[in-house]
Amino acid sequence: METTNLVTKNLAEPKRPATGASEARTLDYHALNAMLNLYGANGELQLDKDREAARQYFLQHVNQNTVFFHSLEEKLDYLMEEGYYEAEMLGQYSFAFIKALFEQAYAYKFRFPSFLGAFKYYTSYTLKTFDGKRYLERYEDRVCMVALTLARGDEGLAKSLVDEVISGRFQPATPTFLNCGKQQRGELVSCFLLRIEDNMESIGRSINSALQLSKRGGGVAFLLTNIREAGAPIKRIENQSSGIIPIMKLLEDAFSYANQLGARQGAGAVYLNAHHPDILRFLDTKRENADEKIRIKTLSLGVTIPDITFELAKRNDDMYLFSPYDVERVYGVPFGDISVTEKYHEMVADARIRKQKINARAFFQTLAELQFESGYPYIMFEDTVNRANPIAGRINMSNLCSEILQVNTPTEYDDDLGYRQMGQDISCNLGSMNIAKVMDAGNIGESVEIAIRGLTAVSEMSNLKSVPSIAEGNAKSRAIGLGQMNLHGYLAREHIYYGSEEGLDFTNLYFYCIAFYAIRASNRLAIEHNDTFAGFADSKYATGEFFDKYVDQEWLPRTEKVRGLFERSNITLPTQQDWQELKASVMAHGLYNRNLQAVPPTGSISYINHSTSSIHPVAARIEIRKEGKLGRVYYPAPFLNEANFDYFQDAYEIGPEKIIDTYAEASKHVDQGLSLTLFFPDTATTRDINKAQIYAWRKGIKTLYYIRLRQSALEGTEIEGCVSCTL
Amino acid sequence: MTTTQRLSRVNAINWNRLQDDKDLEVWNRLTSNFWLPEKVPLSNDIQSWNTLTQQEKQLTIRVFTGLTLLDTIQSSVGAPVLMEDARTPHEEAVYTNIAFMESVHARSYSSIFSTLCATRDVDDAFRWSEENPTLQAKSELILERYRSDDPLMRKVASVFLESFLFYSGFYLPMYWSSHAKLTNTADLIRLIIRDEAVHGYYIGYKFQQALAEATPERQQQVKDYAYELLLELYDNEVRYTESLYDEVGLSEDVKKFLHYNANKALMNLGYEPLFPSSVTDVDPTIMAALSPSANENHDFFSGSGSSYVIGKAIATEDDDWAF
Repeated sequence: METTNLVTKNLAEPKRPATGASEARTLDYHALNAMLNLYGANGELQLDKDREAARQYFLQHVNQNTVFFHSLEEKLDYLMEEGYYEAEMLGQYSFAFIKALFEQAYAYKFRFPSFLGAFKYYTSYTLKTFDGKRYLERYEDRVCMVALTLARGDEGLAKSLVDEVISGRFQPATPTFLNCGKQQRGELVSCFLLRIEDNMESIGRSINSALQLSKRGGGVAFLLTNIREAGAPIKRIENQSSGIIPIMKLLEDAFSYANQLGARQGAGAVYLNAHHPDILRFLDTKRENADEKIRIKTLSLGVTIPDITFELAKRNDDMYLFSPYDVERVYGVPFGDISVTEKYHEMVADARIRKQKINARAFFQTLAELQFESGYPYIMFEDTVNRANPIAGRINMSNLCSEILQVNTPTEYDDDLGYRQMGQDISCNLGSMNIAKVMDAGNIGESVEIAIRGLTAVSEMSNLKSVPSIAEGNAKSRAIGLGQMNLHGYLAREHIYYGSEEGLDFTNLYFYCIAFYAIRASNRLAIEHNDTFAGFADSKYATGEFFDKYVDQEWLPRTEKVRGLFERSNITLPTQQDWQELKASVMAHGLYNRNLQAVPPTGSISYINHSTSSIHPVAARIEIRKEGKLGRVYYPAPFLNEANFDYFQDAYEIGPEKIIDTYAEASKHVDQGLSLTLFFPDTATTRDINKAQIYAWRKGIKTLYYIRLRQSALEGTEIEGCVSCTL
Repeated sequence: MTTTQRLSRVNAINWNRLQDDKDLEVWNRLTSNFWLPEKVPLSNDIQSWNTLTQQEKQLTIRVFTGLTLLDTIQSSVGAPVLMEDARTPHEEAVYTNIAFMESVHARSYSSIFSTLCATRDVDDAFRWSEENPTLQAKSELILERYRSDDPLMRKVASVFLESFLFYSGFYLPMYWSSHAKLTNTADLIRLIIRDEAVHGYYIGYKFQQALAEATPERQQQVKDYAYELLLELYDNEVRYTESLYDEVGLSEDVKKFLHYNANKALMNLGYEPLFPSSVTDVDPTIMAALSPSANENHDFFSGSGSSYVIGKAIATEDDDWAF
């Protein structure tokens, strides 16, 4: 989840680039940064200019605008007295320890490798004076405050967290990294998923939740599948319901209302099953020419598609849409809690269930058309997700970034909106590891365990009282999402093409290791606390079934190259025997966290961490990033140089298949989802998009995030010598 | 004879200094509505096309040829003469957009032809359009006004063309789509209807502005001329309709549609409707098919975003689903 711009930007505008200046040291940092996008005199990439821009940013701007303190003691006292830092949090530690920890961090001699990393950090994350004019923290300070907060008095863990974060191996997600230790702060978690049931109390509660969570800077996804369709009866009187569109409108307005003062655009998503009768109306809300009364502008849309829809499309059949109102009456559970694939023919044959039909292929084409026009909807392959889910219960939705996949249960309300039966909704706190840094350090088990402990702390420290069903779900599940980033950066540095046989081999085995160590860490936590997540006994972890694929077969490198990479890093792959032991321990002691991994898209934090985003290929070798009011900023792919230039093919060149192949390798080892964006040139057709979706579904992909299209500049309108035009 | 001041010289157009906010509003609407026929997967209609009888096919081709002629007139003559009469540089700019989109419309019919029809049939239809007396008569009636030196009557003629004359042709694809035939073609026609609705509205609006400045005598004169022209066009349109639709037995229903749209055209000009509601009760399936998304007929000021990417829609084939 992205949570940038929470802090008002009052900092002095940087100087305009000095025009015509030839000596680099007289140039301002924006000008230097912009030179990244222009070839040098000999046609070379000017990567050194960006490093110079980062240096000049400090010399010309940061250092001059940072409040100076004589000692750490003076600094901490001041920040606590003035209400910048949480005194209570720091009170858990002795000053001597805090001082040693800061020294540990500063000894690392951290420098931002790119201008954008530094720029992003100082504009969006670091602590500033209340008037927003001066900086109160350096990067090292922020890292220490995060470590101290998450360690909750455990000195050993605090030291380990500083090591992992300052080295870049582990990067907490934005809300955690931004807020830890600050007195005036938002929540440490910012991603929420809520069900809506088919009654007015639940709908009303949802609006309230949208307001409360938006106020706290969160992004919220809602499930609409259970809501009766337009024209369904109310109190058995026919043709009464107005369906899901008015609810979407209410939610959209709630999000924008609660964000009026914030710089951040309201962030909400809604998910609907493909077999809901309002599905086409739902999609049409994103049409360019939709009536103002039904047009949805800022809400993100997601569609959950079961396997049966693909089967019907394969046969070029019609697909039936089922009334949630009738389904709930026939089966006694909400529409979202049944498997459409399983019950499809039964429901088709059941005269009590009202149904409509549309052509299945036409549905897929409409989906692709909408993705052209708006990038939406996201897609969740419902049956794939539930087959891979080791937890008892049903997954019927995802979140704003389509990587959170957890079970939920309905809430029942009294007439006064009190809770008759508290259900469980979902929150998720995330953090990502830098694959290259983890491989370079070699101690992958340790790195994963520290990250899992850090994320677990965030879960345990969160208590979202304003939405009790989320607080309930979090308390019972302690669900976390450990992500990964910089895959493309690492592969390119090692001269491996993204999506190649070697690239897939590495992705498979890297995630294989992560799965092992994440489960081992959570098992250790369960042993330490003598506690498991609620519902462990009903999970496939408890039965041991989850471990079959690891115990029954050997996971080894398929290529020499990848074998060499793990050997060089001194990483021994977990053996079948290791898994056997872990299985026994998990079955005996359980797991502390219900969910462990989820791979988010990583925007801002990958710039700070100097990574390529998530496990995607780069969008461009030199990425053009529009940053708020400060204009265009250029970001070079990490590790990019003349020697590995060819290995940094961009996502459009690489094409959807290799991206899907790569995600398919990772998906095997990730219990939740992975944000997967597909990239197409503007010459693509809806059929190309449909084919990619079919391929993704066949390869066991769980969710699809955005569809991105690139329109290239018209011939003759390119800028002479511009990197982004020709690359 | 008229007090309308024409733009005498060319000044750089400043969209930040508007004389009339409507110009920008319509400009934004038109540009965001931009589309090309490639957006619509017309080839999906081939099967459906083959279910039509030879007579129905001929009717359809002729109807579209007639529409092509009207779009051609509007693009090459109508919009340019209106441009001459523009009162603001922004109005002139809007007409350039209208002129271009009319060309896109004319182009679209050829896309339909090349996708669905045999070249010989199409050539026959174009020959038919050149020889059909009622079709030629209506184009002559409009062109006469365009060639005249009366800016108000030029606008009247233009609104009648945009809001009235097209609809005898638009009826047919709407009729087919309400019978689950040529549905993709209907999608394309709906895009055209969406544009024409804005065009008719905007030109009517500019007409009313100019008319308000005229003397009462002049106003009365224009009104008389307008009704006179409409009746002349209507008589011709009835004959045109009968010549096309009698064979398939749809003439009476098409005429209701004509009445309905004649009234709309008059409303765009700010005049009272001519036909009583008893003769404008168009088949509701046609009305429903007309509406692009909502139930309201032409809510053309509904929003349109900026992230519009024009995608090419192509249906998937069996091979794509081989799993």
